Amino acid sequence: MTASLYWYLREFARIEWVRKFFFARTAPLVTPAHFRGFPEPTGKACQHALFCMMVCPAVGAIDVVHEGDGWKPRIHKGHCIRCGLCVEACPNGVLMSGRVLETMQAQGTALLVSFRISIDRDLCTGCGNCVTACPVNKQIDAQLGAGGHSSNDEVIMRVDDGDVQVLHEEKCTGCKICETSCPTQAIQIARILEGIQQPVEGGGP
Amino acid sequence: MIIKDVVCPFCGCLCDDLDVEVDGQKIIKVQNGCTLAEATLTGNNRLPAPIRRTANGWEEISYDDAIRETADILCAADRPLLYGWSSTHGEAQSIGVHIAELIGAVIDNTSVVCHGPSILAIQEVGHPGCTLGQVKNRADVIVYWGCNPTEAHPRHMSRYTTFATGFFVPEAQKDRTVIVVDTRRTESAEIADEFIRIERGGDYEVLSALRAIVRGKGSILPREIAGVAREQLFRVAEICMKAKFGAIFFGLGLTMSNGKYKNVRNAIELTDELNRHTKFTISPLRGHGNVYGSNEVFTWITGYPYAVDFARGIAFYNPGETTAVDILRWGECDAALIVASDPGAHFPHAAAAHLAKIPTILIDPHRTATTPLCRLQIPCTMAGIDAEGTAYRMDGVPIRYKKLIESLYPDDADLLRRIHDRIREVQGA
Repeated sequence: MTASLYWYLREFARIEWVRKFFFARTAPLVTPAHFRGFPEPTGKACQHALFCMMVCPAVGAIDVVHEGDGWKPRIHKGHCIRCGLCVEACPNGVLMSGRVLETMQAQGTALLVSFRISIDRDLCTGCGNCVTACPVNKQIDAQLGAGGHSSNDEVIMRVDDGDVQVLHEEKCTGCKICETSCPTQAIQIARILEGIQQPVEGGGP
Repeated sequence: MIIKDVVCPFCGCLCDDLDVEVDGQKIIKVQNGCTLAEATLTGNNRLPAPIRRTANGWEEISYDDAIRETADILCAADRPLLYGWSSTHGEAQSIGVHIAELIGAVIDNTSVVCHGPSILAIQEVGHPGCTLGQVKNRADVIVYWGCNPTEAHPRHMSRYTTFATGFFVPEAQKDRTVIVVDTRRTESAEIADEFIRIERGGDYEVLSALRAIVRGKGSILPREIAGVAREQLFRVAEICMKAKFGAIFFGLGLTMSNGKYKNVRNAIELTDELNRHTKFTISPLRGHGNVYGSNEVFTWITGYPYAVDFARGIAFYNPGETTAVDILRWGECDAALIVASDPGAHFPHAAAAHLAKIPTILIDPHRTATTPLCRLQIPCTMAGIDAEGTAYRMDGVPIRYKKLIESLYPDDADLLRRIHDRIREVQGA
């Protein structure tokens, strides 16, 4: 015990140590330019594509709300992990964070979100709930939205041969209303996230 | 060749917006129809020719022989039964009634094992109903009670209720609240906003509880009614009372469970109570394509919608006494003509077993579960596929079946007319 006290005092009672401890001068804390903070608005109008919500890996970190006369992404800082994926995924450049947008432009990279519609023909009853409820279908063919009847070849999907047939998968916006309107869980939308790189003039790094 | 606006003859929805592609005498493609419509229209299980049971099996016979034998069996019977009628057109149904009058038979349709109790309740307290078009364009609260439209009427929700854009409900499912009441969690319950799960046989109690709440007497209710929490019923009653326009649809869960027609009467009276607060309607989800039509046709000619007994020489109606199931179960019936229905699949065992004991003749295009119970089967056209005629949708709207393909089979109306004429000949002689 006595020995321990001796060694303790010998280490910490030195004048150099005491001076360093109380009067140390460290460099001020500065946020570096490449630091990726919470996403912030760029000022461009949100088109309600909702890709930010779809791509976000943190539960409850981002939602898109209707404010005033338009839509607006809202970041919940307690949940956001600042990964920047929402910034990359937004097709309209509504959000920015650190150098994410600049790097994407410089390197010609982008995140592409697409959707794949799969129908389980054993479960599908051809009730037409999904094709009637689909907001894109409703917009393309009002008659379809008003009762499940369509002869229009431009719709995303319609009922043929007793089952739902997908005609234009590329028009799907991934809202999943069809999934929630299906009583037999016969339709499923897979959201597919794809990273792509286009060659840039002048070359990338 | 593509035929537009085809009527599907399968269920009571009678969807009249199908596009059907026909190649010669074959239907090869059905667009806009559900899986039941597709199977009905493209199905290929027709009986090729009339068949008669022999000691070792079946033999094919001519239409003339089949008609002659049918007329002879019916004329010789003391208590003949003419049953079915719900999958054919009104023209054939009316000839059926004339045959019944001619031979003093009991004529009954599939309502007896379906919505017969609904008809009894309607006869007691009336029918605050409306067409499906009104529901589609106005209803913001939809109640499905004791029925599963997903399985039985697949397009009901997308064509008339939940998902269809209506004139006063432009946002469809966002504007509409869907309530499903059932004893089990059905597929339809999966997409409902509110699901009330009641104990088996508890419909009457729950309906009475809702009536009490709507009348402002909810305080007398116990904590739980037939397995349903009082609070849920208060919530549902409020949704109904705040509706701009509500529509109740009910099925066999209400008509064929304990209480039978009293359940339906209570549901109609609940609708009546709700109409003191807002607009509310109630309608049965009718099963067979033209079962409503058989009720209509029977009523025009005899005054009664089903279970009509001509044994006294005049039309007599007393469900429980003149209904097909009862006269078969008691062994009272000694010959039966079954048209456009499948009692072998739907009747209680005792009634179906009696059909096998007596000379039973089946007029139906397909081999069905009734075929093994018959002595004679005569194939005919199928209304809505190779025969045209009039049918009534579940809400009472008459719709004309189209003839899609030509076939060599005789129309059921023609067959029945020949049987009718042959009976007159036999009787005249």
